[in-house]
Amino acid sequence: MSTDADTASTARAPFAPWDRRDLPGAFDVAETARRVGNYKWTEMKLFEALGGWVATVPELDVKMRLGTHCYHHAWHAELWHKRLPELREMKPERLTVPANDAMARFITAMTEPEGPELTIEKLVGVYRVLIPRFVAAYTYHMNNTSEITDAPTIRTLKFALQDEFDDWRDGELMLQSLITTPDQVRRASEHQSALEAIMVEAGGITGPGSIGGAE
Amino acid sequence: MSTIAVTPERFTLVAYDADRIAEITRGLAERLQLTNPIVIEVDERTPLGKMSASVDSASSDATIRLQLESGALEDTKNLTNFSDTRAHLSLGRLLLRASDRLRDDFADAPPDRDLTNAQNTAWKVYCGGRLERLGLAPIQQQYRYDFRNRFGFRDDVDTLFDRLWASENLGWHDLPG
Amino acid sequence: MRQFFPVDDLARDERFVQTNMAKRMADSRSAVGVKKSAKSRGASNRLTPDRHDASEAARSLMHGIMVGEIQALEGAGRTAHDFAAGDGSGDTIPFELKLDMARQAWDEARHVEISAKLSDWMGTELGQFSENTVLFEAACSNDPVLRLAGVNRALEGLAIDVFTQMKEFGQLAGDPFLEFCEDWMLADEVTHVKMGSDWLRKVTENDPDRRAKALEFQQVVDKLFSFGGARGDSDESPIGLARRFRELAGFTDDEVDTIAEMDHDALEERKAAVRLAQEAAGV
Ligand SMILES: [Fe+2]
Ligand SMILES: [Fe+2]
Repeated sequence: MSTDADTASTARAPFAPWDRRDLPGAFDVAETARRVGNYKWTEMKLFEALGGWVATVPELDVKMRLGTHCYHHAWHAELWHKRLPELREMKPERLTVPANDAMARFITAMTEPEGPELTIEKLVGVYRVLIPRFVAAYTYHMNNTSEITDAPTIRTLKFALQDEFDDWRDGELMLQSLITTPDQVRRASEHQSALEAIMVEAGGITGPGSIGGAE
Repeated sequence: MSTIAVTPERFTLVAYDADRIAEITRGLAERLQLTNPIVIEVDERTPLGKMSASVDSASSDATIRLQLESGALEDTKNLTNFSDTRAHLSLGRLLLRASDRLRDDFADAPPDRDLTNAQNTAWKVYCGGRLERLGLAPIQQQYRYDFRNRFGFRDDVDTLFDRLWASENLGWHDLPG
Repeated sequence: MRQFFPVDDLARDERFVQTNMAKRMADSRSAVGVKKSAKSRGASNRLTPDRHDASEAARSLMHGIMVGEIQALEGAGRTAHDFAAGDGSGDTIPFELKLDMARQAWDEARHVEISAKLSDWMGTELGQFSENTVLFEAACSNDPVLRLAGVNRALEGLAIDVFTQMKEFGQLAGDPFLEFCEDWMLADEVTHVKMGSDWLRKVTENDPDRRAKALEFQQVVDKLFSFGGARGDSDESPIGLARRFRELAGFTDDEVDTIAEMDHDALEERKAAVRLAQEAAGV
């Protein structure tokens, strides 16, 4: 017995009416790999710093947060590490590098504070300078890469961004609770200015163009 | 005023001072209006904190005997050192027990060494509330946890705890166990 | 930030007071019978709810767990930091091992959270008991392979023993939170020991000398972590040796037997030392 269902066509457009993803993207494979390598290097430096600082901060809640965030950034580094061979980089270490010398200097400056009295400086470097730069670079990349050819990178960017937002908020809360006197305000802003200056020189996580050009 | 004797007179394994122990005990006895002679024996060979109180009769001039393992007077942050706070709580609890034992309605209470863990804990809780009202600072949650460990982790047990903690003038048969 | 971090600089707030093994062992008191003539073994010291001081002993152990977790967190964080990613030779460790250490840092951070909550539940104040920093001191060698052996095999193995004891305590006492939490932490610690066993094997695959050195170091640390026989098969030890969970984590029967022997030796040595000290003091 034949029914309407047997004869109805199943042919549909490859992209449903609600799917308006675009093919063009701002980055080719090599440029994507370069950026991903910078991400991996910087996430690695960040999780190393957070792990190292755990022992140096006396505030118990901060100690535990740093340990937790340490893993978030290690996981991002792992995801980027696994993405590199998919972008034709068979020696991921080759691209696991800072964007430029200024970026390397930034990490050195950010990780310099060690004393137990320097929790504000440690947190300012991570949560008021570096992580906002991650949010910016990841967002720019997500919004400009090909939504079809580079879907795997977008997926990782979304996971990483979710952590960055959550950790940024955690960090800001810790800082607001620690900065309670004019002297502490001065310390935080002076340290932020010093680090920000190096970051500007670096041009962001992937160097100049981290968030595109100022057109 | 009570006469108070502490042994050992000089401690060798822990940094305790017999005079300080006597002084704290004297202050507590005055607050509890105890005038009996008091004998205190500290066993410094063990870091454990077991302690007991006994009276040699129920008469008003009976001698009160307090026995403590060194841990009962110890500063847990700085082991082998004496803690004034801890000593107040331990000696205070023992003196309350002794004063209970001097009452007729505690005549049936077995000696401390024969108390079950549950009886011991119930009595400890009854002392804890009174120590707090004397102005000392026992950590109530510790007593509550001890009580739950002996009687169960249930709401009715917590209610019983609250009643014991708030009580004064109980007799031995009012205590659960 | 320095590459290696000395134990004396571990940062704590003012509530915490730190001590070390030398000071602990200078305490000439003992909870176990030390008389040589005592024919029968001493009374059981196993941490069970029927001990007269069960709650107090559990509180003290829980505080020890909490500060131990802080040190384990610090140790894992430092390993993620101290050694550069490389092929595992010299001062380097494989990138994936660094990732595992970061993961462990998160796990240990949760363990600190759990034990702080449990401490509060049991009525303990933060810093109420002194913190023995021997875990960090003994386990955090500057050689990455020794650190794996010290932290992930000896320290984490001790954690398995302690959590098994506490889980049993919670079960017997009917404490609804204690058993639940210890069971979760136990699952993590078994994972950490497995991590250590696997990495130790992998990193020293072509270097039997290095492996032997690491295992030797682990034994030294294991004996230290017996805390003078506080951990061991004997009933005189408050904490038992958790054979079943250790097996799950990759310890062989021989390895556990060796630890049991060392625990026994540590207990006897401690008793002898206390006996001598007490005789000398005339008490
Ligand atoms: Fe742990
Ligand atoms: Fe662990």
